[in-house]
Amino acid sequence: MPTLTIDNREITVPEGTNVLEAARALDIVIPHFCYHEALGAVGACRLCAMRITDGKVSGIQMACMVRAKDGMIVSTLDPDAVELRRHVIEWLMTNHPHDCPVCDEGGECQLQEMTIAGGHGNRRYTGKKRTYANQDLGPYIAHEMNRCIACYRCVRTYRDYCGGTDFGVFGSRDRVYFGRVRDGQLESPFAGNLVDVCPTGVFTDKTFRFKSRAWDLQEAPSICPHCSLGCAVVPGARFRELQRIRAGISPEVNGFFICDRGRFAKGSTNDPARPRQPRIDGTPAAMDTAIETLRTRLAAVVARYGPQSVALLGSPHASLEAAVLLRDWAQSLGTTRLVYTAHAEQDRAARITGARLERHARSLNDIRGSDLVVMVGADPLAEGPLLALAARQAVRGGGQVAVIAPQPVELPCRASQLILPTEQLDAALHCLAGGAATTLDATARQQLEALREQLAGAQRPVLVGSSARLGGRGVNTLFDTAEALTTPERTIGVMMLLQGPNSYGGAMLAGRGPNFDMLLDGIEDGRIRALVCLESDPIGESRDPARTQELLGRLDLLAALDARPTATVARAAIFLPTRTGIEADGSYVSNEGRLQAFARVMEPGVPLRDTSPAGHPPREFFTETPGSEPWPAWRVFARLLGRSEDLAVLRREIADLDPRFAPLAGIRPEAPGSRLTTTPGLPHYQLDREARE
Amino acid sequence: MNDYPQVLFAGRRPGTTNFLAGYEAGGGYRGLRKALTMSPAGIRELVKAAGLRGRGGAGFPTGVKWSFFPEAPGEKYLLANGDEMEPGTYKDRQLLLADPHQLVEGMAIAAFAMQIPHGYVFLRYAYEECARNVERAIAEAEEKGYLGRNILGSGFSFELHVHRSAGRYILGEETALINGLEGRRPNPRSKPPFPAQAGLFGKPTNVNNIETYCNVPHILVNGADWYQGLSRTPEGAGTMLVGLSGHLHRTEVFELPMGIPLREVIEQVGGGVRGGRRFKACLPGGASTPFLTASQLDTPLDHVHLEQAGSRLGTAGVTVFDDTTCMVAATLNLARFFARESCGWCTPCRDGLQVVVWLLEEIEAGRGHAELLAMLRDQVRNIRGRSFCALAEGAMGPVGALLDRFGDELEDHIARGRCPLKR
Repeated sequence: MPTLTIDNREITVPEGTNVLEAARALDIVIPHFCYHEALGAVGACRLCAMRITDGKVSGIQMACMVRAKDGMIVSTLDPDAVELRRHVIEWLMTNHPHDCPVCDEGGECQLQEMTIAGGHGNRRYTGKKRTYANQDLGPYIAHEMNRCIACYRCVRTYRDYCGGTDFGVFGSRDRVYFGRVRDGQLESPFAGNLVDVCPTGVFTDKTFRFKSRAWDLQEAPSICPHCSLGCAVVPGARFRELQRIRAGISPEVNGFFICDRGRFAKGSTNDPARPRQPRIDGTPAAMDTAIETLRTRLAAVVARYGPQSVALLGSPHASLEAAVLLRDWAQSLGTTRLVYTAHAEQDRAARITGARLERHARSLNDIRGSDLVVMVGADPLAEGPLLALAARQAVRGGGQVAVIAPQPVELPCRASQLILPTEQLDAALHCLAGGAATTLDATARQQLEALREQLAGAQRPVLVGSSARLGGRGVNTLFDTAEALTTPERTIGVMMLLQGPNSYGGAMLAGRGPNFDMLLDGIEDGRIRALVCLESDPIGESRDPARTQELLGRLDLLAALDARPTATVARAAIFLPTRTGIEADGSYVSNEGRLQAFARVMEPGVPLRDTSPAGHPPREFFTETPGSEPWPAWRVFARLLGRSEDLAVLRREIADLDPRFAPLAGIRPEAPGSRLTTTPGLPHYQLDREARE
Repeated sequence: MNDYPQVLFAGRRPGTTNFLAGYEAGGGYRGLRKALTMSPAGIRELVKAAGLRGRGGAGFPTGVKWSFFPEAPGEKYLLANGDEMEPGTYKDRQLLLADPHQLVEGMAIAAFAMQIPHGYVFLRYAYEECARNVERAIAEAEEKGYLGRNILGSGFSFELHVHRSAGRYILGEETALINGLEGRRPNPRSKPPFPAQAGLFGKPTNVNNIETYCNVPHILVNGADWYQGLSRTPEGAGTMLVGLSGHLHRTEVFELPMGIPLREVIEQVGGGVRGGRRFKACLPGGASTPFLTASQLDTPLDHVHLEQAGSRLGTAGVTVFDDTTCMVAATLNLARFFARESCGWCTPCRDGLQVVVWLLEEIEAGRGHAELLAMLRDQVRNIRGRSFCALAEGAMGPVGALLDRFGDELEDHIARGRCPLKR
């Protein structure tokens, strides 16, 4: 741990820290462009100049390129360093257009900030500026090469970090060009990260073009709802519209990057077809009335058929708070018929994961540092793209990736691929654990035995599975394999891709309860008379949509809470609109058991539209914001339960009542979140059998 | 015509290339035979004692470079840098046109001295004839057992290949050359790690200039003392290939003793300034070395004395300018070359050199003023020593010398509002 002095202040930093990071730890910002925590130091921009006095490396040096050494004396205010920094900015500005007023980067532009910080205010160069032709990079990313300052962050992100091949750097001298061979949509599923890493306005979000200035956006730390990984995102809203999403920074999870689905798929928040009005039997109603009607109609069903005639269906997409209150509500109604996903097989897989993950749990950061990642049946680019990106980092760090799947799995990195039909994946896992696996052919067995050897020798191995492909049985076998190969020296890690952002949380709450297929059976034989669906669409999501649709028609009462215009919502007698994660505070438990909170970005409402001159001023005035009816789902249940409608109070209550959720009490959306301890000793095999019955 | 002792050019005959028979007849491969009887460390010591310094421009002592190299067996690479692209420098081409086996032998000895199994001769696209010569020399040497498996029964093996590059000036930078050889963009790499630790494909790699390797067989045969004795000054060692260009009567490559005074090179070897004009300035070591003026003509051409005179020996390409030359225009011409050849990696080189070009253009066109002159000084101060590799540093050589030694000419441009030498 070297101790060095920067601008007369001492600091001790971990071995290998560069001077730029050491200064940052002292809140001394050394201006820089090309340096990026995730991309490393390359020393190209020459902006982070400082002077080192004494020692082996001395004189004017680049802070990013010099490792902190014991006794080093650093001055960031040295006149020569300041002069160089000013010149670097002046050089970069010789060709940079002064188009800040029409540039989308304006207000969050590193070049603007560094120009101010660097002290360059007057451009002495009066010659011609270099110009480029721009490319059409597809519907998501705008390209404006004239603004380029050649920090090379884009190629380092796109090619090195993300493994893209259709984008690169062309030319040389002061005419380097960052783009594709010819116009066309960027192929990488991580292309959107160019927008975040570009320090100027070369790559901007085309979907966000000319919509807002950064300072006008309402932003808040959030969690991506599109898969089970729980990447940090920062959505930005304005005029009641979710306008853009950028990557949040979460070292243990996504690091600095997100996938294009997380960035550009904005979900139902802005959806014009989104149902925003509470309805009773097809008639619009006030929220309070709708909730009261739900309460009285359910009471009638309970009175006639008993409490067990009511079934509740949660969702992998609903917040943990809503999921917990759904359980509390089930208890208050007296029913045990509570399920957290309409897909029975994924349900089983998630519950086994929740029960068995424990010491095997690994984060995406662990995967990035793994020396052997074995993916069984998982297709990360489809089910959790950041996992594919993490696997690439493992390979870049010298690790290896092996895939066992029914079809070749596309990954942005080198990987060995063993193709086996889905029904043989279980046998393959047995084989990895040392089993005989007689159903497999000789070549597959040979490859698996070689892989078993590799696993035995690996220091930080991780098994990756998928609840969608493996199902309950396969997931259980995968954990058996992880146990079998674990030695006292090192545990085999597991990462299981689950259905949704809160599948894990739902699985923790579901415990040994029934699955949705059992509920359907109950509806079929008339034991179940009422179903309340929380942000779940059983018609669209269950294993047998046709049967589900038919059976839902037999219910005395179907109620739905949702923000999406689903088939279930269309058939529900009582409909309660809920808020999306953009419009409400909440939390999810990601697939590694990490509890992470997200914050409300904006209040719900129909997005404002630009009006034509003829339509201005508006002819109608409202005292209410149009489309602001939706409530957070947890608030609906808090009302039904007669509990506090203050989320902070609810979180404390949840934490007090269920020690597994203790971190919920003081949870902050800007914090990295914490991994929950699962219920130890839950008999998973028993659960497995139960779920099958 | 040439009474200077000839070593590298001893077998050179105009219009012909020496292949195996001719090279062996002239004593070729005796150095390799001798090397194989010595220990690798002994060869490195001998080269160090001979005082051979790199001929590619930086002038680093070759034996010292080799002594840093890991001797332990393994994947290691030996590269010959033949990306000769400095304006005024064309000596390696003459070597390969005259005696390609000299390079093959020198590399084989170097490979043995560092126990390196693989080598590449890196040549730029324009040197196709040289490439064919080297390829033929390699084939002949393999045939005779001077290359390949178990060289001359010694148990040592060394394979040599030719690589033709698309060729840019930056490829002369050894780490850029390594990137280029790997098929990447030829951006320089940061050091450390040095190529000797992690070079081509991440393996220990030694890079030397073609002329440097060609000196090695002669040192092996004749010894360190003989080699040192070739120099006119005790600071230098050996001979060097001096490429003459510019306003001289004879503009060819000559092999001259190290330490020969600049005046002798210009007046005797080069036949004096062309057309009876007066000497104004010269670049003593290629386009990236600071100008020397008439008062410095007695400087001996070796690394130490030229550095004392405020310039560098570089690649010993002497370009002479007569008294009709506008030094601003000459410097602008050089600056344009360096700005064009920047790889585009770091800001001072990519954008700073372009600003230098613009400033010189403005001054040369008569649009200069005091502020631009101050700005030019700022550029030199902030580019020199601040760029990622030595390219921009080299570009500042002539520009810095223009400011230091021809300041009056710059001011004359500004005062008159035109180039005073343009009629």
